[in-house]
Amino acid sequence: MKLAGVDYLILAIYFAFVLGIGWRLRKSVATSRDFLTSGRSVPVWITSLAFLAANLGAQEVIGMAASGAKYGIMTAHFYWIGAVPAMLFVGVFMMPFYYGSRARSVPEYLKLRFDEKTRGLNAITFAVMTVFSSGISMYALGLLLQLVLGWSFTASVLLSAAIVLIYTLLGGLTSAIYNEVLQFFLIVLGFAPLSILAVAKAGGWSGIEARLPAVMTHSWKYMSTASQNPMGVELFGMVAGLGFVLSFGYWCTDFLVVQRAMAADSMSAARRTPLIAALPKMMMPFIVIVPGIAALALSHMSVGYALPPKGDSYDYDQALTTLMAQFYPSGMLGVGLTALMASFMSGMAGNVTAFNTVWTYDIYQSYLRKGAPDAHYLMVGRITTIAGTALSVMTAYLAQHYNNIMDLLQLVFGFVNAPLFATFLLGMFWRRATGHGAFTGLLAGTGFAALTHGLTIAENKGGWITPMHQFPSTMAQNFWIAIFAWTSCFLLTILVSMLTKPRPAEELSGLVYGLTKIPKDTGVSWYRRPAPVAVFVIAVLVFLNIWFR
Amino acid sequence: MLDLRTTTGWFFAVLGIILLGLGVFSPGLRASLTEANVNLYCGGVMLAFGAVMLWLARTH
Repeated sequence: MKLAGVDYLILAIYFAFVLGIGWRLRKSVATSRDFLTSGRSVPVWITSLAFLAANLGAQEVIGMAASGAKYGIMTAHFYWIGAVPAMLFVGVFMMPFYYGSRARSVPEYLKLRFDEKTRGLNAITFAVMTVFSSGISMYALGLLLQLVLGWSFTASVLLSAAIVLIYTLLGGLTSAIYNEVLQFFLIVLGFAPLSILAVAKAGGWSGIEARLPAVMTHSWKYMSTASQNPMGVELFGMVAGLGFVLSFGYWCTDFLVVQRAMAADSMSAARRTPLIAALPKMMMPFIVIVPGIAALALSHMSVGYALPPKGDSYDYDQALTTLMAQFYPSGMLGVGLTALMASFMSGMAGNVTAFNTVWTYDIYQSYLRKGAPDAHYLMVGRITTIAGTALSVMTAYLAQHYNNIMDLLQLVFGFVNAPLFATFLLGMFWRRATGHGAFTGLLAGTGFAALTHGLTIAENKGGWITPMHQFPSTMAQNFWIAIFAWTSCFLLTILVSMLTKPRPAEELSGLVYGLTKIPKDTGVSWYRRPAPVAVFVIAVLVFLNIWFR
Repeated sequence: MLDLRTTTGWFFAVLGIILLGLGVFSPGLRASLTEANVNLYCGGVMLAFGAVMLWLARTH
């Protein structure tokens, strides 16, 4: 891929705008709350799009196109039975507790609801994980730009990290969120034309259907057994593992996304944030997955396009960039590449702003130095932002040299995350759940996840204790690990809670269902109330699933 | 406080004008797999989006 002067000009204009937004917002930061939580002042349309964009990192965009080419439209399950139902749940049912509790972060909610050790466990694992995953995605970006454009790994990693660092330092979370909205629009306007052009070239959706095996263009039809589809997953594993445990675990408990909703200017806006975000989220498969499917169809035609080979298969990760090189002329090519940079930056800023809040409030203020004046925590927040970015850059370089350690860490984090949703579900909806129960449940869930991995094998992964069961794919293995982790955490939390002393009801006011006043949204027009918005989203969702069944 | 609609509007207006300019003055710029004047159409859409954002910022 060759860039012209105008492409670099467009990239430079983008850099100028994101830095400009940070510069204009620098005066909005007076306290640590302004810097780390936006002082609960952001309008709902902005928090909604930021909610989406913070998750829409470069790895997500590149990975979804790759999965589209590899697995077909089944990949859309990550959105249609994965993300969207979980986003509706967090908005309608969970946000009243997050926002209403006045907690500044998700770990702090755990402290208010359960106890110090549950918060500590969640805060520390979350902090390590965010730094790590932003480093991994930085590594992926550096590698891709090196491969496609021949840019130096060091230059692209340091430049993009420096720009994110500057605008986050200037305007804090507000600046990160405002930029995420600009980045979201750029991602959509930069990638949507690619999808349209590639699908048109492949003869429209019907042309793709004619050229590919039917399993690539149906999301439900080939899921009754795992052997029928390329993902190697059967219906129950998909719905329970991905649709319930993993998706609810991410969208309902991960501070990275929940933080965006908590920055909204009112309870009603906080609840509507994930609901409004669900509408564009549902449509994202057409922008990020469909191009991958079209790329595979084009490879089967003789039009001069082929996915780059890798071994006896394709290098799916290059689907998006090779399409760009062949469908975008200079000018639009610059926009497409800038959109890729934008997706990377929105993901990284999401990680950095979640990390600095959890570190400052949940670790530093709770364990290292209590009761200092707010100016001190503001300074710590700023230093943490720099330190978090530096650690991410170091992780990117570690990933370059020690790929195996990174794979292992990613695996362990999966074990830690899998049971989380059981803890929050019981915490919010069962007043009898206790801190000892939650803590034991989380540890047990993580242990059971590791145990399942040790006892099963898939594509030569796992089975390090003794392989007792073989899964058709690592994806199926991951989904089932999540199911076992969730169930064991759920059951053990209940068991230990029954054996330990409950907290008095008056201490749990605002934290648990039944002891919290759920806001009634009477007197506002229907589209400003959470329930009707959710019903509308479900209707569109059902339609999409039936259309692509 | 900064009105994000204004910033977004200007950003896409500038991008749209650059692409439209390319589409009009170098219509020969084509990627290998498409005959469409991609810059012209995409530039038009971006300029229109930017204009709508700026209009929203003015009227609300």
